[in-house]
Amino acid sequence: MNITGQEVIDFLIKVGIIIIKIAVVLGIALLHVAYATYFERKVIGHMQVRLGPMRVGPHGLLQPIADGIKLFFKEDILPANADKPVFYLAPVIFMASAMVNLSVIPFTKNFVIANLNVGLLFIFAIAGLGVYGIFISGWASNSKYSFIGGLRSSAQVISYEVAMGLSLVGVMVMAGSLNLTDIVKAQRDSPWGMFIIPQIVGFIVFTIAAVAETNRAPFDLPEAESELVAGYFVEYSGFRFALFFLGEYTAMLIISSIAAVCFLGGWTIPWYITKALPFLSHVPGIVWFLLKVYLFIFLYYWLRATLPRYRYDQLMAIGWKILIPVALANIVVTGLVKILL
Amino acid sequence: MTVKELAKKIFFVEIVKGLALTLSRLFSHAVTIQYPKEKRPISPGFRGLHAFVRNPETGKYKCVGCGLCAAYCPSQCIHIYTSEGEEGTKIVERYEIEILRCIYCGFCVEACPYGAIALTEHYEYSDYSRDALYMTMDKLLSNWDNYMAGSKGEKYFKRFWRPMSEDLGTSEGQAVFKK
Repeated sequence: MNITGQEVIDFLIKVGIIIIKIAVVLGIALLHVAYATYFERKVIGHMQVRLGPMRVGPHGLLQPIADGIKLFFKEDILPANADKPVFYLAPVIFMASAMVNLSVIPFTKNFVIANLNVGLLFIFAIAGLGVYGIFISGWASNSKYSFIGGLRSSAQVISYEVAMGLSLVGVMVMAGSLNLTDIVKAQRDSPWGMFIIPQIVGFIVFTIAAVAETNRAPFDLPEAESELVAGYFVEYSGFRFALFFLGEYTAMLIISSIAAVCFLGGWTIPWYITKALPFLSHVPGIVWFLLKVYLFIFLYYWLRATLPRYRYDQLMAIGWKILIPVALANIVVTGLVKILL
Repeated sequence: MTVKELAKKIFFVEIVKGLALTLSRLFSHAVTIQYPKEKRPISPGFRGLHAFVRNPETGKYKCVGCGLCAAYCPSQCIHIYTSEGEEGTKIVERYEIEILRCIYCGFCVEACPYGAIALTEHYEYSDYSRDALYMTMDKLLSNWDNYMAGSKGEKYFKRFWRPMSEDLGTSEGQAVFKK
């Protein structure tokens, strides 16, 4: 092999660019998580005719920072009978698996850390790994609440991952690719502009499954406060708890990004909108992407402020008896249309 | 399940109704009162911190030490110590209220025949020590000066704590305390 100096420099530049991209994405994601909690408290507060955080800084804007500092300086408690190494490992697995998924999300036209050709499958695989974090934490805490929370969570995430995966098959069939960038491009070139219009059934199944997948209300049974105190992370405190918290909100960001990329057209806007209002084509793609992501995150908060928690058997019945058959029917119809037209 | 019920389920009618309600509340005005910054208006006749009414003519308290307030007080938090002065007059030596035991019923004010004690509109007087909340005569008088200064006190008192002496004044020929 013959390696010239020029090639080494090119390689180093490539690695450097990737590292800068990772730093940017990670920094923005962490800041997003901090302010997603603020956004959530404000939205739910106003929906309940309250004000939400108002004291720390103007309109409570510094509240997430105060919360972060507080969590950082809290005592790190280890339960006496906990399985130490596993107990320490669980939040790291949970958070890392959420963070890794950030690497394949195309934020805008040429901004994606790893442009994988199996992007969607990769996301499912890694999101599935996150369950280990939850289940291990529930087991290692040696507490009945966290154990039940962990069991519930793994059962729920596994059942809903099936529905979520199937709901996205329609999108894969229509785009003819698993690469997230190609899916966005396919939507831009399609007559509908975004896949939510032909894939509305898939989108509804995806939305319901996404809420269950991230353990959010009304499917927040793993951390059902009224029954399980806090669910699988009941024994965690201080920064280890913060890791779970970060993981949950990052997972929400990921799922919202998938919704934006696969159904809402990612960083593009439909051609008929730019035709009607041509000046909108000058708006940078990242704005559209973030707008769609935050719209979906707002939907999460909206649902949380509106709906009470489902019963466990109802949760399972919705997943297996309704969502999966509907998603399968959607695949069949999409496939038939694709073949016949 | 009828067709109508099925259609309701498929299109999430109930859930959409709930979502519409919460969304409409999102744009409504919050009812929160941000307490230290904004304060709820005090309703008329509010029963707050105790005060000794200062007689505008003599500049002293009106209390004669009859002990009716202490006798009437349900939580028994009023302590009065009197002694006999020159020519058999009664002198109020100490008049103390344990604020921490008071239930703010206002019976002491109602019982007082001379309109000597009042409840002011002031209510923000929490403190770290018990001593600060043990009211002596001087403190009670300064409470009047602080929170019921000027004609406000007189008007407030007349309006909400009509002294018994006004309604049940002594008749001409009745025997009175000698002076």
